[in-house]
Amino acid sequence: MATDALTIENLTVRYPMRGGVLGRVQHFFTAVEDFSFSLKTGEILAVVGESGCGKSTLAQALVGLAPWTKGEMTLLGQAYNPASRKDLTLIRRQMQMVFQDPFSSLNPRQTVSEILMYPLLARGFSRIESTQKIKETLSLVGLSTEALSRFPHAFSGGQRQRIGIARSLVLSPKVLICDEVTSALDVSVQAQVIQVLDEIRRQAGISLIFISHDMQVVRALADNVIVMYLGQIQEKGSVSQVLSSPKHPYTKALIKSIPTLDREHPPEILEGDWASQGIPQTGCRFAPRCPQKTSLCTEGVIPLEMVDSVLCRCILNRST
Amino acid sequence: MRISQETKNKWIRFRKNKRAFYSLVILVVAYLASLTSPWTVNDKPLVMLFNGNFYFPAFFHYSETEFGGVYNTEPDYKKLLYSVDADIWVIMPPIPHDPLKADLSLEGTPPFPPSASHLLGTDANGRDILSRLIHGFRICLSFSLCLTVLGTLLGILIGGIQGYLGRYFDTLFQRGIEIWSSLPFLYVVILIGSIYGRSFLLLILIMAAFNWISLSYYMRAEFLKLRSMPYVKAASMLGLSHRHLFFKEILPNALTPVVTLFPFTLIGGIGSLTSLDFLGFGLQPPTPSWGELMSQGLNHLYAPWISISTVAALFITLLLATFIGEGVRDAMDPKSGDRYE
Repeated sequence: MATDALTIENLTVRYPMRGGVLGRVQHFFTAVEDFSFSLKTGEILAVVGESGCGKSTLAQALVGLAPWTKGEMTLLGQAYNPASRKDLTLIRRQMQMVFQDPFSSLNPRQTVSEILMYPLLARGFSRIESTQKIKETLSLVGLSTEALSRFPHAFSGGQRQRIGIARSLVLSPKVLICDEVTSALDVSVQAQVIQVLDEIRRQAGISLIFISHDMQVVRALADNVIVMYLGQIQEKGSVSQVLSSPKHPYTKALIKSIPTLDREHPPEILEGDWASQGIPQTGCRFAPRCPQKTSLCTEGVIPLEMVDSVLCRCILNRST
Repeated sequence: MRISQETKNKWIRFRKNKRAFYSLVILVVAYLASLTSPWTVNDKPLVMLFNGNFYFPAFFHYSETEFGGVYNTEPDYKKLLYSVDADIWVIMPPIPHDPLKADLSLEGTPPFPPSASHLLGTDANGRDILSRLIHGFRICLSFSLCLTVLGTLLGILIGGIQGYLGRYFDTLFQRGIEIWSSLPFLYVVILIGSIYGRSFLLLILIMAAFNWISLSYYMRAEFLKLRSMPYVKAASMLGLSHRHLFFKEILPNALTPVVTLFPFTLIGGIGSLTSLDFLGFGLQPPTPSWGELMSQGLNHLYAPWISISTVAALFITLLLATFIGEGVRDAMDPKSGDRYE
């Protein structure tokens, strides 16, 4: 068994909600709750879910861009406390993130070479070393060195995203978090970027956390998948198992809602959204929208349970 | 450093605005020309041939004894020209009048109306108005430029830090600025001027202490907006320092209000120096200044050439600067920026 590149225990992210005249904290919004997973070396772990379910918050919390309220992190066998500034700099040496939007995540007033050079210089590399490293990374993501002297606006969305990937890769991280990297791109360009990511995994031995709402991309790329709803893990297992025989009603609904080219079988739309329902205080969080809801679903705390080597948070699987 | 396409586009848009572009050319050329005024608008000859030797009195200091005088002081070259019995030949500057010296060769009491030797006449002390206007322009614009640059730097720094840090610091500073900006500026100038005396540097410092406020509001807003941009977050995640984030990531994208406000702040600087001089709280007399000329014009209404030429000069300068400001503002307008052509 391969060693774990990253282990997260009970990660919770809470945002204080301020209000009133004095801006006091009135209550907390929990974006990610009791999130635990481990990432093996060289593995691609996908996190899927609807918009607003906490996927991006999870990604940002891992690199310290969102408040880390609770939880432990073990990165490459070393325990860190991401709430401390000192540990955060160490974590960021091993773990980097690629941003969702390739248009706003590159500074419009810096050339590609500047964008890639600054992080290296800040890390203490010399200019010559940096240039060498930049050239290697550019060829890894499939861009020519001509790109270096240009500004980001001269590139297409897919090329920009590859620049973004290159920027995360120049510091040679061991874990790369991809936050919806393909969602802003055309389908044909998505394929290029996915190919690049797969290439990186094989060549550089990097583990990937791939956050997406696109089931097709996840099926094509990932090894394991976490299905997330309102900050909680609903189902977790290998891609083949979870996507072909989903256990959780939410996963089923997500898979059914994928648009297909087959007009005979239109996608089934999952009714409602979490915002209009509010977050249930007890029981299953998905219960208000669940088509298979029973009276037991809204009571107590429902734990993650192992069902056929897949972890699932649903009481409906207990009887079967 | 390479200039980004966005900046180039802005320059192209500015150039397309003929009025603004030519205003900029005229103002820059006029200012550069006025910088030579200590030599070209003066009563010392540029070149003088005296008994077979070349002298350059406009650029170097010679004592009277060299030309057969008694004292070690600088000679009055105009007098020298007529009085000395020697082989003498000179090239005088284009406007051969010192802004500080009265023309004593004219008969009667000043102010003298425009004539061939004094194109715009003289002021109430017999000093050439054209010469004083040119020297005044140089001093006034230099003053305003220094003031604007200093105020802009302060505005960027204070507004930027406010916006960059945000939270309590921002609120605290904002209240502080409100208190500071409610201080009556004129009284502070009079007060400090009467304690420490009036000098070019002191006046700039006092005025810059109030000048940065309006820009800091814009900078604060820009920094608040830009600090949550993904590229800034990305840079912070990549381990770059706060200084890098401030100066390299955010500041180059936050320069629009700086550039847009620059010409208008310049106008404000000219206006406030002129009005302070007019009230007599500005630069120490006899420094050539437009405000002082205007107050002379007011005291000698029977000599309209004083106020007419001064007001015209001020009007044209402010108009040119306003045209530039207008052009810059239009070129910086983000709504016209993203259009495909």
